[in-house]
Amino acid sequence: MLKRALAIITLIIIGYWLAQGLAGVPFGEDKMLVGQYYLDNVKEQTGAVNAVTAVVVNYRGFDTLGEVTVLFIASTGVGALLWRRKKQRTAKTEGSIVLTTGTRLLVPFVMLFGAYIFIHGHLTPGGGFPGGATIATAFLLLYMAFTAYEIPHKAFEKTEGAVGMAYVLVGLIGLAIGGYFLYDWIWQDWGFGVDNVGRLLSGGFIPIIYTIIGLKVGTELSGIIDNMLKEEVSE
Amino acid sequence: MNGQYASLLIALPLISAFFVPLIKGFGKKAVKYYLIAVTAVQTGIAAWIFQQVYTTGQPIIVMAGAWRPPVGINLYIGHFAALFVLIIAAVSFLMAVFSLKAIEVEPIDKYAMLFLLLMLGATGMIATGDIFNLFVFMEITAISAYALTAYNKTGEAAEASMKYIILGGIGSSFFLIGVALIYGALGTLNMAQIAQLAGTIDPTVAQVGLALIIFGLAVEAEIFPLNAWAPDAYQAAPHPVTAMFSGFVVKAGLYAMARILYLMQASAGWNSILGLLITLGTLTVIVGELAALRQRDVKRMVAYSSIAQVGFIAVGFALGTQAGVNAAVFHMVNHAVVKVLMFLAIGHVAVILGGSELERFKGLGKRMPLTAFAITIGAISITGVPLFNVFWSKMQLVMASMAAGKTGVIALILAASVVEAVYYFRLIHTMWFTGEGERISEGLAISLMLLFLAALVIVIGVYPDYAWSIAQKAGNDIFNVAQYIKNVPLMGVGA
Repeated sequence: MLKRALAIITLIIIGYWLAQGLAGVPFGEDKMLVGQYYLDNVKEQTGAVNAVTAVVVNYRGFDTLGEVTVLFIASTGVGALLWRRKKQRTAKTEGSIVLTTGTRLLVPFVMLFGAYIFIHGHLTPGGGFPGGATIATAFLLLYMAFTAYEIPHKAFEKTEGAVGMAYVLVGLIGLAIGGYFLYDWIWQDWGFGVDNVGRLLSGGFIPIIYTIIGLKVGTELSGIIDNMLKEEVSE
Repeated sequence: MNGQYASLLIALPLISAFFVPLIKGFGKKAVKYYLIAVTAVQTGIAAWIFQQVYTTGQPIIVMAGAWRPPVGINLYIGHFAALFVLIIAAVSFLMAVFSLKAIEVEPIDKYAMLFLLLMLGATGMIATGDIFNLFVFMEITAISAYALTAYNKTGEAAEASMKYIILGGIGSSFFLIGVALIYGALGTLNMAQIAQLAGTIDPTVAQVGLALIIFGLAVEAEIFPLNAWAPDAYQAAPHPVTAMFSGFVVKAGLYAMARILYLMQASAGWNSILGLLITLGTLTVIVGELAALRQRDVKRMVAYSSIAQVGFIAVGFALGTQAGVNAAVFHMVNHAVVKVLMFLAIGHVAVILGGSELERFKGLGKRMPLTAFAITIGAISITGVPLFNVFWSKMQLVMASMAAGKTGVIALILAASVVEAVYYFRLIHTMWFTGEGERISEGLAISLMLLFLAALVIVIGVYPDYAWSIAQKAGNDIFNVAQYIKNVPLMGVGA
């Protein structure tokens, strides 16, 4: 009781202190130093209509490379901690016929929609991370509906590594062509899709990077699901 | 050569880590040697950058995607970053060699990836010039550290990792709130521009934001009261990883703290944040030293001693003067050398004898004379005996606090050194004057590494001038914010 009361009092003090800090931040005023620049120049400089993805992949692409790495570490870490010499799925109850049939019908659509999200990252809201998560959802559905389903691990693991390398390689090509790491050579040097802004074939390297991220996130999250659903079996 | 190639420091560990799944089929040995090769190349790149920065005297500014700051993210590799990037790469290389013997637990491919990404995260934290990017690299470092702490899969490793992950999670949320507050108030994330605008920020926002950021980084930097995870994690993590934690992960956190602190120099209310940090640093020293005094496990004892040294560094940074920052940087360098030596030697003993309790160190002088010799050199150095490297940095810390008029800090440093002498000389006594034993073969590679590090301790101790001049330049890089702003080619957005 005393503990809880003390915790509540401490929280109130911290909350009051944070509110004091927040009160000093002007609310609803124009504080966009850098933000205005992005909004004014995004179309000419990156070819993307979606300003958020242009910032995330192009202007601040370095952060996104880092975020992709964070996810990679999460999946690697789960893999390292749950590693067993032999693992199998030990689920017991088969799903009902409605569930299995429904899943069979639904999975292709979910995957298609996931691919749609990450391919259209420079045009519509979304991008690589939501697209990849949607694809992983399709695999989660398969795991939940079928007791024996397993993803092809070898292929998934290799894809995960290969697309990760592809992202860094795109950056390194930029270093070789334009002299800067993560330089958007497709848009700035080749001018590919310049009169096509707002359509699919534009946006410089954003669609390419987002396809890479989508595949990577999809395989990684599916790998985490796979690792967590399996149990050790004796040989 | 083009300075932009310094981005290879980030690109190389990343692409190498992503490559590991494709070569894991070639077996355990192949993965371990691959790890050594990658860290060796990274050390080469870091040495090239170090040489570039220190001969020209100009920082290398890497602009990712050719966007000029503050629109894009830039890396700022000045004197400090060049020095520590080299230390990070060299320590990683030594630990990759040590991993050949020390790591037998499966899955080795995942270990190699996490190892490379830990190195990458620390490199990025030191090199970046953008506070949100700093957060991303901090997360990379922290999450690979969580996974590596639990890597041995014992009960205590899981417990240590759990503590670390919860504290780290809370800490990074604090950090993120702090970043959001500062972004809300100033409208930019670039460090140089923040420093430029720091004078205009509302004092309450600056205080709350800075305090949140310091609390967030304190988890990584092992500042009391957020360092409860550290002794457990040091004890439970694989031996090479422990040396990496103490050698550079802590240093990256401390540096980030000092960098952000000094960026906001111009803001009102800055002095109260210095006061907060000096209190926390002092408590860190006291708690660390007293806890080390009563440990029965040598690895844990050295872990507590490492925490106490971190307290010294924090106090140095909190003095708020050029001399204090220089001394703190010098202590960071010396501490990195000595603690890597200690953890390498103790880890080596633990691998061969199967544990690191104090009883096992009886008669070590007869059984493993070279390792015992290396531990002795390290222990004498940490206590601050003249002609060893830590003596000079403690000396500089004392002189800096004298100049800043903080006599309490001097008393703290001297008293802590006495406590250190007690527990380190107890260890030395146990190794050389008790127990009996047969000679055990010590292994060529590890003997060479131990000799190299011990030689470094003595060389810096006898000829401190060169190392001290490097530390002064690196300290100036942190303290002299006006120069920092001038070096970053800001485009005139919003100014």
